[in-house]
Amino acid sequence: MMSRVIKKFFVASMIMWIAPVAILYGFNNHIFPGAGQLSSSSQTLLSGSLAVISVNLVIVLYIIMAMKETGSSEHQPDPAFLAEANASIKQPSNMTANDDTQAREKVE
Amino acid sequence: MASSWSRALTQISPYTFASVGIAISIGVSVLGAAWGIYITGSSLIGAAIKAPRITSKNLISVIFCEAVAIYGVIVAIILQTKLESVPASKIYDPESLRAGYAIFASGIIVGFANLMCGLCVGIIGSSCALSDAQNSTLFVKILVIEIFGSALGLFGVIVGIIMSSQATWPAKTT
Repeated sequence: MMSRVIKKFFVASMIMWIAPVAILYGFNNHIFPGAGQLSSSSQTLLSGSLAVISVNLVIVLYIIMAMKETGSSEHQPDPAFLAEANASIKQPSNMTANDDTQAREKVE
Repeated sequence: MASSWSRALTQISPYTFASVGIAISIGVSVLGAAWGIYITGSSLIGAAIKAPRITSKNLISVIFCEAVAIYGVIVAIILQTKLESVPASKIYDPESLRAGYAIFASGIIVGFANLMCGLCVGIIGSSCALSDAQNSTLFVKILVIEIFGSALGLFGVIVGIIMSSQATWPAKTT
């Protein structure tokens, strides 16, 4: 059972590996149209820079996804602690009511 | 003595230099990436015991370290397509030696730049996880420092690719 966090991370990692290798493979095996006419040195420059740009694009997309997601999931306080805190707030209101009646009795 | 040392160095086949360059580019890059990931991963898992909310954002540090390894793979793939055979008569031509040295230099540039970049991003990522667990407003500030750290690996890759693009072996004349 993989949580959404791990699944997102795994998909981003896979894309980060596959995209640049696919770009380099496409340039070297002339899959992309029009890439055959380039000289060897400019073909290297173009394929290398496209691969590096694709890796950085995946990183930026992952950062955007991660920052957007944590806005919704807030830290939930422990329910037992919450119940005790609520009980302690309600209790002094009972105590102050008893004190008032006792004070009135003493005066009389 | 000097002439025999320089003869020894120039008699090393350029294929040796090129192959060692390819090995260093991928091997040392992965060393840096692995170092960074284990530093940041162990801090992240430890800090997530008390503050499990940090895991989703702090995996960004692990992604930065992994990108360092991918830069090494990209340059290694580019360099190995640059390695071509030349006929035995031309193997010690200046043009051949230049191509061999260019591939070697490109491999060293990328390998060592990625080594230090991976280490840097790993240590910053570890303290990012620990401080995010305490106070979540600090995360974005430390992320900015981490982006600067990962730019170091990018510089190495850019120079390595430019260096390797001009590695041309002498043409085979039939």
